Amino acid sequence: MVRSFEYVVPGSLDEALETMKEHAPHLKPLAGGTDLLVELKNNLNGPQVVMDLSGLPELRGVEETSAGLRIGAMVTHTEIEKDPLIAEHVPAMMAAAATIGGVQTRNMGTIGGNLVTAVPSLDSGPVLLALDAQVTVAAAGGKRQLPLTEFFVGPRQTALAPDELLVDILIPTVMLGRRASFRKFGLRKGQALALVNAAASVAVEGGRIAEARIALGAVSPTVIRAMSAERVVTGKQINDADALREAAEVAVTEAQPIDDFRASAAYRRELIAVGTFRVLEEALAQTTAA
Amino acid sequence: MPRKVTEEKQAEAQQLLEAPPATHLPAVAPDSLPKAPALTPEVNKQTPAVGQRVTRPDIRTHITGTTRYIDDLSFPGMLHVKILRSAHAHARILSINVDALHKMPGVVATLTGEEVPVNSFGSTYQDQPVLAVDRVRHRGDGIVAVAAETEQQALEALDAVKVDYEPLPAVFDPLEAMDPDAPKIHRIDNVYASKVIMRGDVDRGFEESDQIFERRYTTPMIEHVPLEPFAAIALWEPDGQLHVYSTNGRITLGRADLARTLSLPMNRIRLTATIIGGNFGGKNEIRTEPIVALLAKKSGRPVKAVYTRQEEFIASTTRHPLVMDYKTGIANDGRLLARSVKLVLDGGAYASWSETTVGKAAILAAGPYRIPNVRVEGRAVYTNKTVTGAMRGFGAPQVAFAYESQMDEIAYSLGIDPLEIRLLNGFEEGSISPTGQVLQAVALKETLLMAAKRSRWREGDL
Amino acid sequence: MHQVEATVNGATRRAEVSPETTLLSTLRDSWGLTGSKLGCDVGDCGACTVLVDGLSVNSCLLLAVQVNGREVVTIEGLGGFEYLHRLQTAFERLSSFQCGFCAPGMIISAKALLDENPAPTEPEIREALAGNLCRCTGYTKVIDAITEICRDRAVAVEAPA
Repeated sequence: MVRSFEYVVPGSLDEALETMKEHAPHLKPLAGGTDLLVELKNNLNGPQVVMDLSGLPELRGVEETSAGLRIGAMVTHTEIEKDPLIAEHVPAMMAAAATIGGVQTRNMGTIGGNLVTAVPSLDSGPVLLALDAQVTVAAAGGKRQLPLTEFFVGPRQTALAPDELLVDILIPTVMLGRRASFRKFGLRKGQALALVNAAASVAVEGGRIAEARIALGAVSPTVIRAMSAERVVTGKQINDADALREAAEVAVTEAQPIDDFRASAAYRRELIAVGTFRVLEEALAQTTAA
Repeated sequence: MPRKVTEEKQAEAQQLLEAPPATHLPAVAPDSLPKAPALTPEVNKQTPAVGQRVTRPDIRTHITGTTRYIDDLSFPGMLHVKILRSAHAHARILSINVDALHKMPGVVATLTGEEVPVNSFGSTYQDQPVLAVDRVRHRGDGIVAVAAETEQQALEALDAVKVDYEPLPAVFDPLEAMDPDAPKIHRIDNVYASKVIMRGDVDRGFEESDQIFERRYTTPMIEHVPLEPFAAIALWEPDGQLHVYSTNGRITLGRADLARTLSLPMNRIRLTATIIGGNFGGKNEIRTEPIVALLAKKSGRPVKAVYTRQEEFIASTTRHPLVMDYKTGIANDGRLLARSVKLVLDGGAYASWSETTVGKAAILAAGPYRIPNVRVEGRAVYTNKTVTGAMRGFGAPQVAFAYESQMDEIAYSLGIDPLEIRLLNGFEEGSISPTGQVLQAVALKETLLMAAKRSRWREGDL
Repeated sequence: MHQVEATVNGATRRAEVSPETTLLSTLRDSWGLTGSKLGCDVGDCGACTVLVDGLSVNSCLLLAVQVNGREVVTIEGLGGFEYLHRLQTAFERLSSFQCGFCAPGMIISAKALLDENPAPTEPEIREALAGNLCRCTGYTKVIDAITEICRDRAVAVEAPA
């Protein structure tokens, strides 16, 4: 049962942004609906206006631009799993998308919708952080671009103003083809919330790790970069397993996992170490295989 | 990427188009269908059963989506019910104001507990109100029910109900609830059902034991989570008969309970059990039947109430969480000499099937083992939590977890194979259970040995 | 109120709905297609699964207004009492369901899988059904039924014409 609201379907981005300006903060944009509908059913004080984004071509599609790979906010998880450009440039995104919900959720849910929930356990976050993703947000007054690290402000909180809309996600050109990997640990395989998510990307030069990005989900108020762990492995030989182990231990100190009914903080710390080690190992393995 | 269209897919699409539209299904299965096998076996003939593949008689309606579960039924003019539930785990209700409710769009009738002829029900003790009047004892207690033209209107109308509460101290831990100083949840003591079983002399058994093992085991509350939520529909026939459709799985008991709450003779009530989308013990009591019956009477129209998923969790019954203290005395060769068990069952806010559950848990608590000296004490305790009641096994799975865990711990401590300690102590033909029952046709050891063999428990097993 | 017009199981259907009405409510209450079930109401159980433009979705999480102009297939579109879809035949042969409440959604998810991947492996079948819960825990026979279809098809393809 959903509480009553007004429903609008703008035909263009400009129209959508004007509508948001008019109705914020009593408006909620509707993308895939897999989170919003649940929220509407649970929330007694729901929005007065629900704005369906399905008619906005500006929010769709995956394309290569001079700045990098642009992914529309309304691209579904299923589309990410099957997109040839994503397969070519950022296959780790496919791995992350494949772990989200069940098939039905992936068919409906969108990457933009996943990011704006800003839940600490969101599955598309870590890979995007490990690839230095940027996001474009728009309001009636204009657009702005910000790094994903600044987009997540707190649990279920983003940098979006009430009248701002997430338009697209950009993977910078330098990150395209960068070896990356993703691991999700849940209580079961199918349709599980992450206990811990981990992602890594690495650039290798002359047998050494020139640059590394490590991102963790479900272990802090937002998805985070484990920058101290990144520094541990930077400059190390790619077959230096001790360095990876040390990075895994350092990553644990950078997170603030909680105890809840899904897992204890102690178990989550264990998973952070295992996850960090494995994503680094897997990303590095790709550099030698390629 | 263009979709590859195979010939087979085209043929399938063609078949789909040629299939009769679902809205024109024959009301009666045509003769071309295979008939369900006769249920009466022939005299003096062994009917093959075990190991046979059978086709369920109800499978075709299941796979075509034509099985009529309760929410698939509707009647002309039918109203929909939503129930306002408590905002507190434990509180006194100071006032209930439904005046504004009648002005909400679509509202046709409302119901409070004071309007229920006998406002109590329960399978053992009738300690649960149909709708709470002066006190709420858990968050699942209903207070006001409203029948409206649509489910949406019923839901939104509930916003207009004003309930004033005076919160009371609540207790959520069954052990704390047993404390004499704990908040009392009903007029009687919080311990409301018990069972004691004694065999031999357990104190002497412990004295004679070489080693003693002691441990506390706990199990959590579990909701049945049937995919189909609990539901009921009521309509009054012109001759004054009440017809209730319900997901209730025990219609004879349900009919008696319903008759009691409505102060109606049982023969005026017809209770139809609909095809159930999962029960697991959670649909064994009346819930909204009196509410829909009374709202149907007040409105003069058929009335349906379907639980939301949240109500299914908070306002149905669940499996009892148990706190189980086990103490077992053994001889050094692994023989069990004495076992004492103390069980505390978290009964939640109302009694429901706790008495049955504490009984069954106590009877089975010592396990399927030959133990000369046994003492089991079981208690069911009120807390301000979701009501616990019947669920597959009535307490048996909880104690099985405890006694089998302890058997393993004893075996590992003695360095004995966990299978051996069970074979050494397991029930045999003619063994006497803690309740004094002489057991017949006991195949425990054969079963264990076969399981061991098939799971290749021991080296050399096939 | 909003007008919704959609192709449902091959036929054009219209309804006048308030915005908050889900596709599931419209299927059940306006169009009398009660095969799709309301189980959890939050997209976890999959009992309400239908196909929209060929993709499986939870109809409890989709507003009716969102399917305006689109194509919907429900369990009623697969086969009726006298005519069974081959998936239904396999599920019947194995009596794959107990209480049956999950069956419509489970079969729609299985159809979505086979439409895209005619020869799935067992892990692929399990993954495809991850969004469909069976509380009677009869998953084994559901997976067996789908596996059986794929095996039958493989035999048919290998057999000389």
